[in-house]
Amino acid sequence: MMRTSQHGEVRRHDGTTVTRRRLITAAGGLAAVAAMAGRLGGVRGARAAAATQALIMAPGFVIRSLDPGHTLEPDGEMITHACYDALVTFNGADLSTPRPHIATGWKVSAGGLLYTFTLRRDVRFASGNPLTSADVKWSFDRVINLQSNPAFFLANVDEVQAPDPYTVVLRLHTPQPSIIPILSNGALGIVDSKLVASQGGDSSPDAKTKDHAEAYLNAHSAGSGAFILDSYTPNQEVVLVRNPTHWRTRAAMDRVVLRSIPEAATQALQLERGDLDIALSMGQANLPTLMRVPTVSVQTSVVATSFLMMVNMDPTLGGQLNNPKILQAIRYALDYNGILQIAGPGAQRMAGVIPNDLPGALDPREAFKTDLAKAKGLVKESGLSQVNGRLMFASDATSYGIQYSLLAQKIQSDLAAAGITVALNGLPGTLELGEYRGGRAPALFGGYAADYPDATDFLVYLPGQLVGKRMNWPANASPAAQELAGWGDQAVQESDAKARVALLQKVQRRLLEIGPYAPLFTPALPYGFRTDLRSVTYNSVWEIDFYPIRRA
Amino acid sequence: MNLQGYIARRVCVLPLMVIGITLLTFVLSHAVPADPISANLGDQAAANPAVVAAFRHQWGLDRPLPQQYLVYLWNLVRGDMGISISTHQPVLTDLREHLPATIELALTAMLLSLLIGIPLGILAAVRRDSLVDQIGRGVSLIGVSMPVFWLGLVALLIFYARLGWAPSAGQLNPRLPLPPFVTGFVVVDALLARENGVALDALAHLALPAIVLASASIGVITRMMRGSMLDVLGEDYVRTARAKGLPARRVTLRHAARNALLPVITVVGLSFGSLLSGAVITETVFAWPGLGSYAFQSATSLDFPAIMGVGIVVASVYVLVNLVTDITYAAVDPRIRMG
Repeated sequence: MMRTSQHGEVRRHDGTTVTRRRLITAAGGLAAVAAMAGRLGGVRGARAAAATQALIMAPGFVIRSLDPGHTLEPDGEMITHACYDALVTFNGADLSTPRPHIATGWKVSAGGLLYTFTLRRDVRFASGNPLTSADVKWSFDRVINLQSNPAFFLANVDEVQAPDPYTVVLRLHTPQPSIIPILSNGALGIVDSKLVASQGGDSSPDAKTKDHAEAYLNAHSAGSGAFILDSYTPNQEVVLVRNPTHWRTRAAMDRVVLRSIPEAATQALQLERGDLDIALSMGQANLPTLMRVPTVSVQTSVVATSFLMMVNMDPTLGGQLNNPKILQAIRYALDYNGILQIAGPGAQRMAGVIPNDLPGALDPREAFKTDLAKAKGLVKESGLSQVNGRLMFASDATSYGIQYSLLAQKIQSDLAAAGITVALNGLPGTLELGEYRGGRAPALFGGYAADYPDATDFLVYLPGQLVGKRMNWPANASPAAQELAGWGDQAVQESDAKARVALLQKVQRRLLEIGPYAPLFTPALPYGFRTDLRSVTYNSVWEIDFYPIRRA
Repeated sequence: MNLQGYIARRVCVLPLMVIGITLLTFVLSHAVPADPISANLGDQAAANPAVVAAFRHQWGLDRPLPQQYLVYLWNLVRGDMGISISTHQPVLTDLREHLPATIELALTAMLLSLLIGIPLGILAAVRRDSLVDQIGRGVSLIGVSMPVFWLGLVALLIFYARLGWAPSAGQLNPRLPLPPFVTGFVVVDALLARENGVALDALAHLALPAIVLASASIGVITRMMRGSMLDVLGEDYVRTARAKGLPARRVTLRHAARNALLPVITVVGLSFGSLLSGAVITETVFAWPGLGSYAFQSATSLDFPAIMGVGIVVASVYVLVNLVTDITYAAVDPRIRMG
């Protein structure tokens, strides 16, 4: 059962004896309590008795698994980041400078294929077992062989070697400097191999059929992180407790409770009243009220996500919209200032496909500017008497507080002003996702969130890459597309930071000349917290890091 | 047919109904033109054929649909409802964790509906066109016409955020530990564990969502009870009872109200069903960790085993409530015989 405590708290779902006397006592007590419940003020007594160093938080609560081998969603990453230490990390909201964590440092071989990490010698898992290179190898092999959601992180890893207890070597198939930021991911946190293997874990090539440790890892953590998983009730609650044997100084909070509060207005009210310390989904409509509450701090954090409109390059799907002149007209027709209003406070114009908070992003001042006359001129130049298309969107989706249905209507009206008629085709999110992934969406918009904090993750938009393929834009679509795809490959392997940034910027400028994309914005996540909390920052990959948070 | 025979027959039919429900739920959930891959795998993983194949094999989605259904039925007969695709734990465990909270909320709301609706309906009928009647009709109208979602938010805003009379949303103050799991009803479990402070906190958390959830059924029951009482009060036997000089209270409660209850019992049965479905919305507003949130999560994830589990549970509750309603009918009015 997932309510089982690691610390011996009695939360068993079985084995509890209920005697008749206890039932009678319970019935009598229930009547007495019911009589008292009218005075709800009495609850304050219970509140006063509550622990003071508990942090109560409401994330989006999209959690599919707490097993590092399976988790990928940001809320799950938040838990794995708290419970499992990775080789490298980032400070606060920064996504540009990877820092040593379990690894004290790393060296890269001349050809860029061998990464050698030296491990700290003072790290122990919560179980008491020392963390060694064998655990790192076992953890990475397990992620690779489970073939679950996070397996792609290590797709370019040929072999993980553990030449001595405190040295790990990753041998790559091709040079990939982004492997360092990738290793900061919670899914690549190091697990206690002895403990997990004893609970059915397997890292062999047959792990996808032989590994049975997920149920255990959904109820217990097996890491060296600052917190330990105390209990997890799917869709309801996750409770973490401080790891007393953590290798850094102990975390200030002794308990972290993550609760599912689906309604944004409820989150906002609880934050205002102090029943919630941190809220991540308060809804844009509630922000003005919360900003006036002196005990609440509302912040926005630019997130590593790119919002784009895109058109299918298959003429039978994209139709007149994928005419090169019409694609250019779309970029000039969009009212970006109006769209930013819908995106909410903190959202920024985006000139390319790489979000503004990652090295390699284009300067937002380079972004397309609304020019309706130019858009109309381009429509005229296309020679099409009438331009029609269909815009697919997830009608039930709201992300970062942005209502997709509102954004769809805005795009429709902006394009209509330039003489481009698009019919809106709203579908439930799951259906829309299926259509998009199947390459059947005629035109759509949406956000691509960073899987890992590196700009090359956004080369998915290039011809022949993940999103490019879904827009039916293969690498061999044209000589220009082929050249662009080649530049992308160079950028992935480029180890010199400056040269890499220059290459990424060149790729994006060319992408907007020949590609089917119109960049809209880099969104910002509004989040709120009580003003007595210190060191609350939002990171695009693992959301909130609980370790540095303390009360004033 | 006597009552025992009737109950036995209905209980025997129950498994067949459950099989029918499983077939209907299975067909409907698979008729949705979407793929669980989209709902459960990330972008990169969904583009990897090996990962997709492993996912389909793991969850039995690579088998023909009839085979999937028969395997499900065979497992169900053995008490296994499968593993949830989204929570990765047995559906039975999920239901055990979520269902008690919903039943706790729905039962409390039902109790409130009966305790308020029936007396208010009787009073409104007996004192027709008086102030009490006006209040009764007003309460009914408000209860029936206000959307539960809106009413819940307004109730939270007023009684929690502004007046501070009610505790925050949720089943328990998150700073308090959950009592040991015995029944799943937090109030009862807390009392069994002799944690009176926790029980009081849980009861206080229950009050506002239960009142909000009960609002619609209070309205329906009040209106039905009033209408039914007005009909009965005009009957000859009531006039006769009055003419015989029986006390007004006795005429109202023993002669009129008992007979007026018959149509209300049907409404109460139906109301319990709508309380279960209404609970989904109330649970969202009040962050109540019940079946509603689980059902929503299952539907959006195309989590077939969980959808089937929720479908079976909700439909079974409906069937049982219908049965109880029919039995209560017979108990209240001995003239009724089961046929």
